Amino acid sequence: MDPNAAPTQGNPLREGILNRTVPDSCTVVIFGATGDLTHRKLIPALYNIAADGELPPNLAVVGFARRPKSDDEFRGELVEAARKHSRQTVDDEVWAGFARSVFYHQSEFEDADGYRRLGERLEEIEKERGTGGNRLFYLAAAPGQFEPILKNLASAGLNQSREKGWARVIVEKPFGTDLASARELNRIVRDAFPEQATYRIDHFLGKETAQNILVLRFANAIFEPLWDTRYIDHVQITAAETLGVEGRAGYYEGAGALRDMVQNHLLQLLCLVGMEPPTDLGADSIRDEKVKIVRSLRRFPPEEVALKVVRGQYAEGAISGKPVPGYRAEKNVKPDSTTETFVALRLSIDNWRWADVPIYMRVGKRLPKSGTEISVHFKEAPAVLFNKSQMLDQNVLVIRIQPDEGIALRMQAKVPGTSFRIEPVKMDFHYGTSFGKASPEAYERLLLDAMSGDATLFARRDEVEQAWDFIDKIEEAWAAGESPPELFEYPAGSWGPDAADELLARDGRTWRRF
Amino acid sequence: MPLMAGSPITRMSEAETFAAGMPVEIGNIERELKKLWDQGGGVMTRASLINLAVYSEEAGSLTANTQIVSRITEDHACRALVIAADPSAADENVQAWISAHCHISRAGVKQVCSEQLSFSLTGSFAKLLPNIVFSHLDSDLPFYLWWQGNFHDPMDPQLWTWVDRLIFDSQGWEDFDAQMRLVESAQEEAKQRVVLCDLNWTRLVQLRLALAQFFDHRATQEQLAEIERVEIAFAAGHRSTAVLLAGWLGAQLGWASGDAGNKTTFPFSDCAGDPITVALQETKGEAISRCSIFCGASEFRVARPTGGRLLETSVQFEGKERMHQLLPAGNNDPVSLMSEELMRGGSHRVYLRAVQAVRDLL
Repeated sequence: MDPNAAPTQGNPLREGILNRTVPDSCTVVIFGATGDLTHRKLIPALYNIAADGELPPNLAVVGFARRPKSDDEFRGELVEAARKHSRQTVDDEVWAGFARSVFYHQSEFEDADGYRRLGERLEEIEKERGTGGNRLFYLAAAPGQFEPILKNLASAGLNQSREKGWARVIVEKPFGTDLASARELNRIVRDAFPEQATYRIDHFLGKETAQNILVLRFANAIFEPLWDTRYIDHVQITAAETLGVEGRAGYYEGAGALRDMVQNHLLQLLCLVGMEPPTDLGADSIRDEKVKIVRSLRRFPPEEVALKVVRGQYAEGAISGKPVPGYRAEKNVKPDSTTETFVALRLSIDNWRWADVPIYMRVGKRLPKSGTEISVHFKEAPAVLFNKSQMLDQNVLVIRIQPDEGIALRMQAKVPGTSFRIEPVKMDFHYGTSFGKASPEAYERLLLDAMSGDATLFARRDEVEQAWDFIDKIEEAWAAGESPPELFEYPAGSWGPDAADELLARDGRTWRRF
Repeated sequence: MPLMAGSPITRMSEAETFAAGMPVEIGNIERELKKLWDQGGGVMTRASLINLAVYSEEAGSLTANTQIVSRITEDHACRALVIAADPSAADENVQAWISAHCHISRAGVKQVCSEQLSFSLTGSFAKLLPNIVFSHLDSDLPFYLWWQGNFHDPMDPQLWTWVDRLIFDSQGWEDFDAQMRLVESAQEEAKQRVVLCDLNWTRLVQLRLALAQFFDHRATQEQLAEIERVEIAFAAGHRSTAVLLAGWLGAQLGWASGDAGNKTTFPFSDCAGDPITVALQETKGEAISRCSIFCGASEFRVARPTGGRLLETSVQFEGKERMHQLLPAGNNDPVSLMSEELMRGGSHRVYLRAVQAVRDLL
């Protein structure tokens, strides 16, 4: 039996019960247990899964961090975090049961002895709670700590499956900063865990609407026949934020919008929109199709980068009427920083389906509103009947990823009256309106998937490396010594530099009004 | 609170005489509905995923069901058709009302509204549901009919040609077999695959889920073949719920019914022919307050304390400490049961199998 396989599906009492199978009992070890991610996302997610009755009864959670504290102190901090960040109100009775499964282990990440002691602690906990030796290691620490953590886990033998059990690792983004560092990180991870036990988390893939892209495309017969170069004019993907760097300058200065958002989140969304139908819903079947899209992305030669990619940095301006400083005036940002906070790209996918269909992407901070959406713009109807004398709008299918998740279709309709006036109308589906039940948070879904051995919504090594290969070509051109492409300024609260509009204007197109 | 046609959105009509809404002529329902939505002026979002008809012959059901529908629409946007029928009334009468149930959406901005059409049918009009009521279904949306109370013999086969899912609660049936035969024959006559949704079965969802999760993994799955005894504690009036639970275990685990036992103990045998006893015990408390499955020295137990919001599950393996977990219990009120049923969908084949396994005992 593959210890990394999902729990057996042969339970006859499960038939007809639509809830997912409860994952294997396991111990989740969180590295970086006192950090923001643990408090804001991981613990609230685990609590919500527990409250929904989807956690195995003897699950254990071990927080690993540097600061000394007792189990009870750790639990006390976590309940406050859960109260603040959980999507469900924290029920004291449920929390009390969950908290009994939470433990704290103090150690430096580089201290080999700390891992030996962790191993002893895990064996005690496993014996006491009967978790069967299954272990899920979550790297929620700073990326610079991944290497010592993984090396020490391997040295202490904690990366090895216990008898009949499994050991898996969840790696948080960023998966490197370029292709070379991603390969190096993958090598370090691979030295400790096999690929099938490695779960690279991209929380965008855990979002309900991202998962719904496959359902929209492949469970509805009306879209797929139109989903190619014959009927689609172009695709736009926008991820806009009103926020600035918000205390993340230390990380963001070295990353920028291209590495922070495009390399992972936006390319993952593009894969879901562009991929061929998979042979089945298995993790590798889906990821095989996704990686073909990244591989088919046309790489930019250096001289084309300035034509196809626009980078910008926000200057001072106003958000919702309130003045905000420019990026270079933010705390911990160099006054001469050339880090981009905005990027717009014109991409081409060189395959049969998407030949000659430009994909426009833009992502930015300090834009007028926040949200992520994909819009598929269909070709215009032939200019033979109604649009002989009147320019008709394109049909546009909009997939709203966040917030106000939903799908809208813009189409043409006759305005009531004796004249023949045609105007665009919108058919709009809102998740929040149609389904009263709140969706689980992305981390809830992804944690459960990792515990269950389902890697479908996690990035595979080749996807990550192909994405970096694409991004590196742009970064290299930007870093070119003598005449790198311009870094445009844009006022905070605007939709980015004018050059981003010109990118589409050259093709006779405009950005969709967001 | 329902929004009335002809009244401002923010306040109830002073002329209101009936909580189900604004009286309308049957022939003008669609026109009056349009007026109702026009009042919204863009601040209301009309939402509908299903047609949900609620049929009752109980006095006062229109008001009670309007309140239930109002709460159901918080989570399940629908076009609701609430029908109060009195087929035995001497007078022949049809009345209709329209209203809307509005709730603030999760995003907290828009009012999301579901419309309700209410009908009072007396005398022979009560038999004209397809003609009077079902002509107001929202086309293209699935039709769920929640039938409260007993079915009548003969059933109108025309009724079933409209219905996608028939919802009922067998807990209140005095003669389960006769009622089930009525439903089955109507279903057959209509030559349509109507999904039968028994709220008595829905009542068991969380309990079945809690029992099922014990056996998700290979190590415990092996114990399913070693079950020797099952104990189910139920409250007065919920014997049929307990029997359905026993039927589910028997059907899913391939047990054969043994000789008829008594009212509280049913003998089964497993695939190997080994005997299994299912013992029912009436106690005070929740509909099902405990189900214990014994496999040799191991016990898998799900209990619900009286008034408790959570199921207490525990596993006791021989020589090991008992392991506990709390799981959601769900609620036993009509709104919660309907919400659960509407959320789950599915074909309910397992239900039909469970019924067949214990039909003689129900």
